[in-house]
Amino acid sequence: MLKVKNVSKRFGGLQALKGVSFEVREGEIHALIGPNGAGKTTMFNIINGFIKPTSGHVYFMGKRIDGLRPSRIALMGMGRTFQLVRVFPEMTVLENVLAGIGKRVYHSLRVFSEAVKNEKNVKKAMKLIELCGLSKHVDQEASVLPLGIQRNLEIARALATDAKFLLLDEPASGLNDQETKGLAELIRKVNKSGVTVLFIEHDMRFTMGLAHTITVLDHGEKIAQGKPEDVAKNERVIEAYLGKSMTT
Amino acid sequence: MQDIVNALVLGSIYVLISVGLTLVYGILKILHIAHAGIYTLGAFLGLMFYHLTGNFWLALFLSIILTGIAGIGVYRYFYKRVLEESRIVPLVISIGLFIVMQDLYRLIWSPYRQPFAVSFGIGDIRLKGIVITEHQVIILIVTFVSLLSMYFLMNHTKLGLAMRACAEDMAIAGTLGVDVEKTISVAFFLGSALAALAGILVGVYENNVYPTMGEVPSYKSFVVIVLGGFGSLYGAVLAGFILAFTETILVAWKGFVLPRDAIAFLVMITVLMIKPEGLFRRATR
Repeated sequence: MLKVKNVSKRFGGLQALKGVSFEVREGEIHALIGPNGAGKTTMFNIINGFIKPTSGHVYFMGKRIDGLRPSRIALMGMGRTFQLVRVFPEMTVLENVLAGIGKRVYHSLRVFSEAVKNEKNVKKAMKLIELCGLSKHVDQEASVLPLGIQRNLEIARALATDAKFLLLDEPASGLNDQETKGLAELIRKVNKSGVTVLFIEHDMRFTMGLAHTITVLDHGEKIAQGKPEDVAKNERVIEAYLGKSMTT
Repeated sequence: MQDIVNALVLGSIYVLISVGLTLVYGILKILHIAHAGIYTLGAFLGLMFYHLTGNFWLALFLSIILTGIAGIGVYRYFYKRVLEESRIVPLVISIGLFIVMQDLYRLIWSPYRQPFAVSFGIGDIRLKGIVITEHQVIILIVTFVSLLSMYFLMNHTKLGLAMRACAEDMAIAGTLGVDVEKTISVAFFLGSALAALAGILVGVYENNVYPTMGEVPSYKSFVVIVLGGFGSLYGAVLAGFILAFTETILVAWKGFVLPRDAIAFLVMITVLMIKPEGLFRRATR
C-alpha cells in the first residue's frame, strides 16, 4: 500500500532522515517508533505531502506521491492526525467531520453549489461520530472538548475523507489509561473496516499490543523492522532506547 | 432620523470594504492594505465601463469580475511567495503595492477628480421629512443582497466550509482534500469583488472618482476589522455599522469638535485598550 524508498531529508545542517526504506502492507496496523528526534514526524510529513524529501521516493497504491500537494494525496485516500491535536476549534464536532467529507467536491465547481448539511453528508458524518464515540458532543464546539475526545474527533474527520490509509501521529499521547484502551479499540475497529493504519507512538505497551508490524527509526535511520515480539528482542533497538551502557 | 439613514448608508460602505479584508485576514493573517487600492481600481473600471457601455449595471458587473481577478493576481504574484516569511514582509509589500497602485491609476486615468454621474430613475424617497436619495436606496439594497449572499455562501456551501477550514488551520484543510490554493483564490476574488462594489457605489454616491480615493477607506476598514475581532465576518459587519453610527451621531452633535475620521481612530484606540482582542471575539483564545 505504501512504499518508502531510500528517503532522506536534510534541514540545513541537520540530517533528519538518512536513506530510509520501508513498506506498509495493505490491511495491517503498522507502527513507526524510535527515540525522540529519530525523524518519525518528519517521515509522516513527507508521506502526506507537507514537505518534500531531499532524495528518495514515496509510492502510495503504486503511484509516486512525493512532491504532490497534501490535498492531492488526500484525494488519493490518505488521512492523517497530529501529535498536538489539531481540530478546527471554532467549529462544532459535526462541522469538523463535515469538513472532511467531499474531497472531490472541493476540487470541482460543485464547491459553489453543494450544501454543507445535505442529508447524505450529515448521515455519513453521524455514522462516523457514532463510531468514534462522539455522539454526546455533536453540536459542541471542538475547542471545549477534552483532549481524548478531540483525538477521536481528529480520527473521525480523517475517516470522513474516505481514507483507505490513516497516519496517526502519537495518538495516545496525553491520554489516560482508560482513554488509551478506548483508542486501541477504535483503531482496531477502523482497521477491521478495511483501513490500513500507520502510527507513531512512544507508549510501548500500546504499540506492542496493537501493531502487526513495527519499524524502528533512530537518528534518521531505520534500525529494525518486524513483528512486535522480534523487535522487542532486537539488540539495536534496546540499545537505541536504553543506551549502550545499560545493555551490557 | 435622517442621521440613521445616513449612518446606515455609511455603514454599508464600511462593511462592503471590510468583509473582503476580513476574508483575507482570516485565511492568510495578512493585513491587506492594498485592498483599498483594489477598491479604487473597482471604481475606475466601473467608471470606464460606464463610459464605454452607458449601462451602469453592465459596467458594475464587468468591473467586479475584472477587479476580482486582479485580487487573485495580488495573491498569486505578491503574497503567495512570502507566506512563510514573518508577517511584517507581506505587510510591507502590501503598503508598497497600495502606493504603486495609486500612482499607476494617476498615470492611466489622470490625477484629477472625475464625475461618476448615474441616475437610476427611481427618484428619491421622502417620508415624513426624511429623504433617502435614490443612490442611498441602491447602496442599501446592493449591500443587503451582497451580505445575504455572502452569509449563504459562508454557512451553507462547501466553499464556505472550505474557507472557514482554511481560516482555522490551512494545513489541516489540505489533509482533508480541500484545494487550499483554489479556496484562497476564491476568497481574494470575492473580497476584491466586494471592494469593487464599494468603490463604484462610493464613486456614484459622491459623484467622484480619483486615484487617492482609497486612502481614508484603507485606514477606516482597518478600524473595522480591528473592532470586529480580526477575521470574524460577523464582527466586521457589526463593527462597520457601529462605527458608522458612532461617527454620524458624534458629528451631528454640534458640540463635538473632532472631524469624523479622527473619531474612528479614537474609537479603535479606546476599544483596543479595553479589549485588545476586538469587540466580537471571545477573550479565551
